[in-house]
Amino acid sequence: MVSFSSLEFLFRFLPVFLMIYFVVPNKLKDIVLLIGSIIFYAVGEPVFILALAAATLMNYWMGTKMWKLNEGFQLSDWQKKRRKRCMIEAVVLDVAILAAFKGLAIFVDNRLLPMGLSFYIFKMISYQVDTLRREIWSKPKFQQAALYFTMFPQVVSGPIMRYNEGGFDGKREYGLQQFEEGFKLFVIGLGMKVLLADRLAILWNDLQMIGFQSISTPLAWFGAFGYSLRLYFDFWGYSLMASGLMVMLGFDFIENFDHPYASRSISEFYRRWHMTLGNWFRDYVYIPLGGSRCRKGRLIFNLAIVWLLTGIWHGNGLNYVIWGAVLGLLIILEKLFYGKILNKVPVLGNIYLLAVIPLTWVIFAITDLQQLGIYFGRLFPLTGGAGIAVNQQDIIKYSQNYSVYFIAGILLCIPAVSEFYKKHRNHPVIIMALVFIFWLSIYFLSSSAGNPFMYLNF
Amino acid sequence: MKLIKKCPVFVLLLSTGLLFTLIALGGKNTIYASQEYDPITTPLLSVMFTAANDEIYPWQMFLNQNTPVMAQGPDTDKMNPEETDSDGQGEIQENTSSGDADGIGEESETEAGEASDALDEGEKPEEKAQENTANMGLGAGAVGADALRSASESLKEEASFERLPPLRESTHEEYINHVSADIYGDAGVIRAASYPFGTVDDSYFDDALFIGDSRLVGLKEYTDLSEHADFCCETSLTIYKALEEKFSDIGTVPEALENKDYTKIYMMLGINELGRGTTEDFMAKYTEVVDTLRELEPDAKIIIMGIMHVSGQKSSSDAIFNNGNINARNNAIATLADNKNIFYIDVNEVVCDEEGNLNEEYTFDQIHLLGARNDLVKQFLLEHGVTE
Repeated sequence: MVSFSSLEFLFRFLPVFLMIYFVVPNKLKDIVLLIGSIIFYAVGEPVFILALAAATLMNYWMGTKMWKLNEGFQLSDWQKKRRKRCMIEAVVLDVAILAAFKGLAIFVDNRLLPMGLSFYIFKMISYQVDTLRREIWSKPKFQQAALYFTMFPQVVSGPIMRYNEGGFDGKREYGLQQFEEGFKLFVIGLGMKVLLADRLAILWNDLQMIGFQSISTPLAWFGAFGYSLRLYFDFWGYSLMASGLMVMLGFDFIENFDHPYASRSISEFYRRWHMTLGNWFRDYVYIPLGGSRCRKGRLIFNLAIVWLLTGIWHGNGLNYVIWGAVLGLLIILEKLFYGKILNKVPVLGNIYLLAVIPLTWVIFAITDLQQLGIYFGRLFPLTGGAGIAVNQQDIIKYSQNYSVYFIAGILLCIPAVSEFYKKHRNHPVIIMALVFIFWLSIYFLSSSAGNPFMYLNF
Repeated sequence: MKLIKKCPVFVLLLSTGLLFTLIALGGKNTIYASQEYDPITTPLLSVMFTAANDEIYPWQMFLNQNTPVMAQGPDTDKMNPEETDSDGQGEIQENTSSGDADGIGEESETEAGEASDALDEGEKPEEKAQENTANMGLGAGAVGADALRSASESLKEEASFERLPPLRESTHEEYINHVSADIYGDAGVIRAASYPFGTVDDSYFDDALFIGDSRLVGLKEYTDLSEHADFCCETSLTIYKALEEKFSDIGTVPEALENKDYTKIYMMLGINELGRGTTEDFMAKYTEVVDTLRELEPDAKIIIMGIMHVSGQKSSSDAIFNNGNINARNNAIATLADNKNIFYIDVNEVVCDEEGNLNEEYTFDQIHLLGARNDLVKQFLLEHGVTE
């Protein structure tokens, strides 16, 4: 049920929740949303709901301590000092919780990582720092802070919104039009996830099934591009569903992806990919470390820290650390050397990005380092990656089978296509298309029982 | 009115959803009777989609109204896979007549089974297997069991092994739980293994045709066997479609047999059919296909390949795609081997671990061999040539 693209969520949880949410008077909506979120999380994690509850209570209590030290027109030094100490204590505790569970997951059992932990802990850290920085303007009630931490559209995979991005003071606006806009975003996200990402996931599964040592070099590249598209639509689709739900419930839209594949450098790519995470690292790690307005050595250090943390945050394997390190290195090189050239010469930046990013995603995708080596050997056969039982014609079959998803995916990567949608989103053809996308998604979800690989026949 | 103007997508989805639910409700006891659905987690309307995936469409509700086949219990459900498949082949048979045709086919199959049961009463299959192994020339006795199949009667007469009858029937419980009942035991497998297979070289496959699902697609794409043999292989191919499916470069199986004289026809099908119908249903169709192949290419040896196992991890966690079910069906199709024109070989000998599960080192998805491991199958085939 915890996946938005499951029949259980779409046809059981969501309709019941929405009906109650819109029937009750406005002042009860927060409570309904909070209870709904607790039920949503508890269904997925009947045990770790306790961890979420404990972290919520602790962070609210720590935040309140800071608010108590907030009195007076201007804060005196001792207040500032003590407030800062409160914040540091809270953040250290949050990081400790995250690290402890990550450690358990790595060294004991993968199932010991509570769902959404890295997302809600990041929200909690943001809450503490924003409280200290007085970017949260009035003292939240417990119910409001709890809602911010646990709200079901965001609790599993973000976006990592900020408390002050609105909606938690109870002054949300509800309207049919707003509901419809949010609903449309949700349908588009669902389509991206089910019709594109889940189909492209089968391509990656096919490659694993064949074994990386037996794929041809063109297929290895095709697979890398396919994985890049799949990851994008999986995550962008999810973010659109989450933000669509938020809009339906009366919140503002949170943008998480801004056509990253149209970027012209890696640094630009990560300003447009999973933007709420990038902004989080910028505001709570990079800038506190000194940002870019410092000596070169310090800048390199800051970037290295941010990207190593980004790598560690994303997963538990060594490959994620390598992935973060490679990205960090490329971004440092861009900042120091060729970033300006990429920006000046048209197309060059785009080519560079589209060649490099899929390679970094391959590192992201393959957790087994030996297999990762084999895959790179197939990507660059001249470096000595001779295959075993390679079928040189394999690319023909796979490009035929997957070209439709590639074409649709590539179209959606173009910013102009989104602009076109925004302009014509009320056109009857678009409306009918959305209805069709929804039911086609339901067809796939029904016939595969929610598992795209179930859809495979042998 | 205001609602539809302001929320057209939402209203349209609500109304289409309502419509789909009504359709699902309308066909609940007829066309959708065999669709499984869990009311706690899934909406009723999803049966419309799962059925569409099986090529059962809403409008058939009205077409099938005068055929009472769908009305009762498990027997009707059993027929669905076949009926659906023939429906898919609109050009060959019309909807209604295909239902009837299948019905008759199945009936006669059952009668054939009963007839042979009666014939063999009191005779234990093991004894018979031994007897037959000892006496390869025995042929006349085989006629009785399949007498109803007049088309293939002549073939049976020269067969050295008769087809073994099932020891029992599948139970309703096995059927509803998707358990493929082991109704034949391993007599057929043991008997088929008595044939002295010989070692051959690649040129042996120059006039060989392979019919199979994705597992043989692996053999085609990741060994050099495709330089010699032809392949009518496709992901998700089933025995129900084996003779009708059009393969991109070679046409249908009957067309391929017409265009070239094959002396060996290899067939590995059956994993996609698990969970669908009973062992009897599968066996009936499999027998029909084998007999048709014999008719179409009387001089060819037919080599039935046992369905390849899945890994232990898959087998122990999957109610349908597990090695118990695979073995039950292999035991059934092995009984078709007469060791003269029809043979049975089991590649599991070379791809499985000691426990009989597909070796986990040979597979990523627990079902298919890694590309490079298909060579094991090729080597196995080279060592299992029909040379006499």
